[in-house]
Amino acid sequence: MNLTIDVSNKENVAYVTLAGEVDAFTAPKLKDTLLPLTREEGQTVEVDFQDVSYMDSTGLGVFISALKSTKEHNSEMKLVQMQDRVYRLFKITGLTEIMNIDSTVRGGM
Amino acid sequence: MSTLKLDLENYKELLQEYIRTKDEQALYQAEQFSKQSMQHKISPDEIINVHIQSLEEIYPEMPEYIQSSMNFLLETMISYGLAYQEHQSLREKQLELKSEISVAANMQKTLLSTVKPELEEVEIGALSVPAKQMNGDYHHFVYDGKGNLGIAIADVIGKGVPAALCMSMIKYSMDSFPEMRMDPDVILGSLNRVVERNVDSSMFVTMFYGLYNFEDHTFSYSSAGHEPCFYYRQDQDEFEEIDAPGLILGVSSESTYVRYEKKVEKGDLVILLTDGVTECRQGERFIEQEEVLKVIKSFAHLPAQEIVENVYRYFERLQDFQLRDDFTLIVLRRNV
Amino acid sequence: MDFQSCVNIKKEWDIVGARQLGRDISRKVGFGTVDQARIATAISELARNIYLYAGTGKVCFEVLEEIDHKGIAIIAMDNGPGIREISQVMEDGFSTSGGLGAGLPGVKRLMDEFDIQSEEGKGTEIRVVKWLR
Repeated sequence: MNLTIDVSNKENVAYVTLAGEVDAFTAPKLKDTLLPLTREEGQTVEVDFQDVSYMDSTGLGVFISALKSTKEHNSEMKLVQMQDRVYRLFKITGLTEIMNIDSTVRGGM
Repeated sequence: MSTLKLDLENYKELLQEYIRTKDEQALYQAEQFSKQSMQHKISPDEIINVHIQSLEEIYPEMPEYIQSSMNFLLETMISYGLAYQEHQSLREKQLELKSEISVAANMQKTLLSTVKPELEEVEIGALSVPAKQMNGDYHHFVYDGKGNLGIAIADVIGKGVPAALCMSMIKYSMDSFPEMRMDPDVILGSLNRVVERNVDSSMFVTMFYGLYNFEDHTFSYSSAGHEPCFYYRQDQDEFEEIDAPGLILGVSSESTYVRYEKKVEKGDLVILLTDGVTECRQGERFIEQEEVLKVIKSFAHLPAQEIVENVYRYFERLQDFQLRDDFTLIVLRRNV
Repeated sequence: MDFQSCVNIKKEWDIVGARQLGRDISRKVGFGTVDQARIATAISELARNIYLYAGTGKVCFEVLEEIDHKGIAIIAMDNGPGIREISQVMEDGFSTSGGLGAGLPGVKRLMDEFDIQSEEGKGTEIRVVKWLR
């Protein structure tokens, strides 16, 4: 399974667009891209989940690490356009309570 | 090196024979020769060297430019030879690691083993199968002898050796908690601090902790970001989700957990599981929750242990006998 | 020490010079074609390490003549940054990824004896020996 990661910058926002599946194989790549972005003070990292059809708990771990990193470095992370299946994972683990997740545009598969 | 000399003679003869006959048999022997050479870890540059020496012996009048071109070829093969030798040594190392991991996996099995209580009031079925050698799922039964049974089911985010190490730590922390305080919310709160403080910042644990009271048949529980569990009402043949909101262990030291309670009726089932059960997939298709419940329902009339085994066998087959994630399923049935 | 000669390594071209001198000496000592090629490859690795990581240094050669056997010693010296974790660079698969070269484990395989001394911030000295059989 594959994951493509696109990063573009606009002022103080880094837009990360994901497409594919986040699992044990693709999570290390995501972590290598995402974590350095969260270390920029004052930066907002916005992750677009629209084309993420599947994520397992390894992927979840990446976002928890990223969240911890935003707290250490005074940056922010925002997760947008999550599909239902992926959103469920954040919901069950209680992370929707502590993460900035915009769930307005959600679609199932 | 006498063995190399012997090989040289052998090679020279084969080469001579082939040049004379152009025979397939000689080529087949060449193939055998290369296999034998590999068994003796002879690298490609040595074969080229043997080839050059054979040519020199067969054709003492060999033109100078052929000699030079062969030396040129030899030079280009030296690095390939090194790569081949490195490959050999890495392979040996890999085998070593594999056997070390299997020893560790066995140790883990012993360390994390839990005795499934055989009780009159409640019948228990439990099964945990790792996707790889080491299990990142964990379940544990504690019977306090006073009519309370504690049941923990957990899943470490991450797989393999690091996950297994983390589980061992959780188990020892749990063993060290005083027995009179088995309240689910208290236990999860303590474990959260243990994980937050001691485990790598990229490692997290989900856990569902339940406490079954035999006197009044209440099941109290708390969850730290774990898969919702299920309650099966025998009289209505229906499932209810047992969900308890709570943050996954190890994210925030301030997390607190809420304890919920449920009355268990005679004949009903309490079903605890990990996401290895609910996140099954068949090829590209995800298995929906309804399907998981349908499968459990179809075996619900069986003894508890047979339920979990049958459910496992069903999903193992559905996934072509290759689990993507560790699979743990526990079923409790109130008997009296 | 009967005979020692050195090649300074400053530019990539010097690697060729070191190989050439090393090969000539090996031939005189009596090494066959395949051993000459191995010695030359080892020299390449050592000289390239100097060129890439230390900038400058030198590769020296000694002919070894003992009662019962002859051989060649190659000494690579530099005043570069040194190596902090020698055990790490001696591990297979550490430097070879991407086909960069055989690395120090490769040099060790090509030769009969291998000795390395390195101090962080001071430099590295590697001495390797191949004996004539």
